[in-house]
Amino acid sequence: MIMKRPHEAGDILQGTLDMLILRTLVMGPAHGHTITQAIERTSENVLEVEQGSLYPALHRLEDRGWVSSAWGVSENNRKAKFYRLTNQGRKELNAATGRWRKMTRAIGLILGESFD
Amino acid sequence: MSLQRFTDRTKKDQDFAEEIESHLAHEQDASMARGLSPQEARRQAHLRFGNPRTVREQEWRYRSFPWFEDLKRDVSFAFRALRKTPGFAVICVLVIAVGIGVNTAVFSVIDTVLLRPLTYPDPEALVQLMNTSPRGSFPGANIPKFNIWRQQPGIFQRVAAYDFGGAGLNLTGGDHPQQVEGVHVSADYFAMLGAPVIAGRTFTAAEDSPHGGHVTVLSYSLWKSRYAANPHIVGTTIPIDGQPYIVVGVIGRSFVTDTPADLWVPFQFDLNSQDMAHFFTVAARLKPGVTVAQAKAQLRLAADQYRRIYGVNSLPPDAGFSVLSLVQSKIGDIGPSLLVLLGAVGFVLLIACANVANLLLARATARKREFATRAALGAGRGQIIRQLLIESLVLSLSGGFLGLLLGFGGVRLLLRINPGNIPRIGEDGSAVALDLNILLFTLGISLLTGIAFGLIPAISASRPDLATALNENGAHSGVGVRSGKLRSVLVVSEMALSVVLVIGATLLIRTFLNLQSVDPGFATHKVISMAMSVSGDRFQKTAPVDQVIQDGTDRLRAIPGVVDIGVTNCLPMASGFGMVFDIVGRPKDNGPFTGGAAFYSISPGYFNAFNIPLIRGRLFTRQDDATAPSVVLVNQAMARQFWPKSDPLKDRMVIGPGAGPAFAEGPRNIIGIVGDTHDGGPNREPFPIMYIPLAQMPDLETALNSRVAPLWWIVRSQVDPRTLVTPITVALRDASGGLPVAHIRTMDEIEARNIARQRFNMLSLTIFGSAGLLMAAIGIFGVTSYSVQQRTQELGIRMALGAQASNLRNMVLRQGMMLSFIGVLIGCGGAFWLTHFLASFLFGVKPFDAVSFAATPLLLSVVALASIWTPAMRATRVDPMTALRIE
Repeated sequence: MIMKRPHEAGDILQGTLDMLILRTLVMGPAHGHTITQAIERTSENVLEVEQGSLYPALHRLEDRGWVSSAWGVSENNRKAKFYRLTNQGRKELNAATGRWRKMTRAIGLILGESFD
Repeated sequence: MSLQRFTDRTKKDQDFAEEIESHLAHEQDASMARGLSPQEARRQAHLRFGNPRTVREQEWRYRSFPWFEDLKRDVSFAFRALRKTPGFAVICVLVIAVGIGVNTAVFSVIDTVLLRPLTYPDPEALVQLMNTSPRGSFPGANIPKFNIWRQQPGIFQRVAAYDFGGAGLNLTGGDHPQQVEGVHVSADYFAMLGAPVIAGRTFTAAEDSPHGGHVTVLSYSLWKSRYAANPHIVGTTIPIDGQPYIVVGVIGRSFVTDTPADLWVPFQFDLNSQDMAHFFTVAARLKPGVTVAQAKAQLRLAADQYRRIYGVNSLPPDAGFSVLSLVQSKIGDIGPSLLVLLGAVGFVLLIACANVANLLLARATARKREFATRAALGAGRGQIIRQLLIESLVLSLSGGFLGLLLGFGGVRLLLRINPGNIPRIGEDGSAVALDLNILLFTLGISLLTGIAFGLIPAISASRPDLATALNENGAHSGVGVRSGKLRSVLVVSEMALSVVLVIGATLLIRTFLNLQSVDPGFATHKVISMAMSVSGDRFQKTAPVDQVIQDGTDRLRAIPGVVDIGVTNCLPMASGFGMVFDIVGRPKDNGPFTGGAAFYSISPGYFNAFNIPLIRGRLFTRQDDATAPSVVLVNQAMARQFWPKSDPLKDRMVIGPGAGPAFAEGPRNIIGIVGDTHDGGPNREPFPIMYIPLAQMPDLETALNSRVAPLWWIVRSQVDPRTLVTPITVALRDASGGLPVAHIRTMDEIEARNIARQRFNMLSLTIFGSAGLLMAAIGIFGVTSYSVQQRTQELGIRMALGAQASNLRNMVLRQGMMLSFIGVLIGCGGAFWLTHFLASFLFGVKPFDAVSFAATPLLLSVVALASIWTPAMRATRVDPMTALRIE
């Protein structure tokens, strides 16, 4: 299931991309380009989605039944594939968010204040 | 794992391409909105996205099973590679098919005979009751033994007696009296074997007791064929031996017995009987949880109990009772001979493997450049080995499939021609059926052989020296020393294995010829035998039976072409009866009787019908009847054993002392000595036989005889006896008041059946030996041809330097024959060790038979010489100029 992908610095942590995509789709169905932009903009351009890995991730999510897809017409009046969060995907997002919060809190506790 | 991932790969890829296109368009839109030119925007979009093809390929791999993809590619590549060399592919597949075919053939017999369980429910609990003694153990029982066995506490759930329908029964009534296989059984028989009752019921205990009435249970086939599957048959009566029998039940089709039964009738034993005659066998079903060992222990005690009740003399002190699993008792002694055959076909398969490995090696050498190129392009060693292994597996699986058809068809054909007296294979081998075991076996050895013959060439080919291989002229780049040596080793092993096979086959052929040349001691040509069942109330006394014999003999004599007529209660070379005897006035040293011998009851014409010579004294005449003094004849073996120094004709003997009321009679005068016959088969020395006239049997003995054995009519004729069958059967029917005859066979057939097993062994091993030899010949031919081809240049130079054609030819011959001689030598050594496994199958020839060990190497050398002659001659025709210009 895990794709072989060179792990580069600045890359989004493996597995978190799925969560971010699902979170983005809570706002409503979106196509790939919108999702990229939404993640980048919402993260104040800290996170950069490697576009080559966005689509494999979307397709993996679809294979797992967390999102569904359909061709439609975009805001630019172009043909685009829209992804929609499924109920299963919503549940997975909740679970993943919970796990993430727990983990960041734990890491935060260990790291404590900054050491300037 | 969601299977969605692997479905519709091509469509999804198309979809993805469009999606990427859409993404790039949106990206371009966004950039243009920031003021970039369309071209620049497009460029930026592409830059940001990366190479769409890479992403798509990544996705494509994600949607695939990697190993499956590789396999598919390798298989299709293998097919393409093989299609380019169809001759090579066909030869390989054929060689493998023969190698695997013979294995499938032998295994399918082994599967049927040794591995398949009995068809009865819970067959492991079924055992055969046995008599044991230091001289061997045998099944067989009399009423007292049956009675003791069934009373043993705690071990048996059910105990049942049954016979083999030896006497046959006559279905009378209607226009066509029919002799049928009527098997006598005790009441528990059907329940013990779990026989399915499809109508009515089986016998009750009351029906199976003396005076239990005339009742019968029909088999499915008889119910179907003679009574048109009449659903109301139960409760009706059918005439058997002129008596009305009530049909109480019908048994289902799935119930299979060794000797096919048409109907069953109850034994109706008197369990108080002291009758010592053994005329049936007993099987039992163990109680759940009881082991064979426990049953054996209990039966050892039963033997003592038997002696206490029926007298010390009823069972020799060293004899006892035991059990043997029923399936084992049916398999009998065939096991070792099948295992020898399995060993032989294993050799054939090894030879086939060596052969194909050899061909693959040659091919791999020719493809050296291909592998080097692939390695240079980055194929790993593992990939090349895998590719080659898959090629050999494609070959072996195709060969295996063909071999399955060949082997299975072949074994059915062989068994049809010659069933070989093998138990459990059904009529003409019909029980040898394709089942999962056979399929798995064939698949298994196909895979194994594919790996076995593929691995060596694959490994040696995957070690290419890139620079040399690529620089050299491909086809003529030298044979690596290593692969040349490897091929020689393979040829030597092929020769060695063939030597072993051929020596084995020669030994069995000589055994068979020896058996065939044994004079059985009685005429077999133009002699026919047939069985008349004299069961039923009419034939409970000696006089009416004798009347039929006299009347029938007279009528048969009137048929033109008939020479002599005899009647007997057992046929030579078919299993007969044995009986103990005392010689009047002779002290018994150790044991209750003087001795035991085979026991025939015959008509006066018997010896003439079989051309058995009278040595001394006189033969029986019609005057030796119930009113005349009792007489007996003995054969030479009996005279030799029991009267080594005295004259048997001066003695009198009592037959069957203490053998129960049926055999109660006074002493008989010994009136003559007749010639020996090989009754136990040609491979056994003649044993003692005593003959009495049928007309002088006590009435009770006749009654017993009528139950357990038919009357065998023996007719010797001037013409082919088969042409006289119709007048003979008509005459016998008239003489007997309508009795039919069955089991019509010439004595030649019976004799042939006696050595059928040896014939089967010989035929099989000859086929396997020939197959091995042929493959070895192909192998040595291939190696020599190849080496001549490889050395074209060298030969050309030699020739240019003045070598004579005969020198070159002899050089090639010498090298080829060297390999053969090494192989033959090793093979002879191996055979020396292996043939002792054959010892028990041989007759009149030693395992280290000089003829076989001398003739086989000679034969193989001739075959080897013939195989390398053509390539050797080719060596002399090398044209020096062409040879040198090839490069």
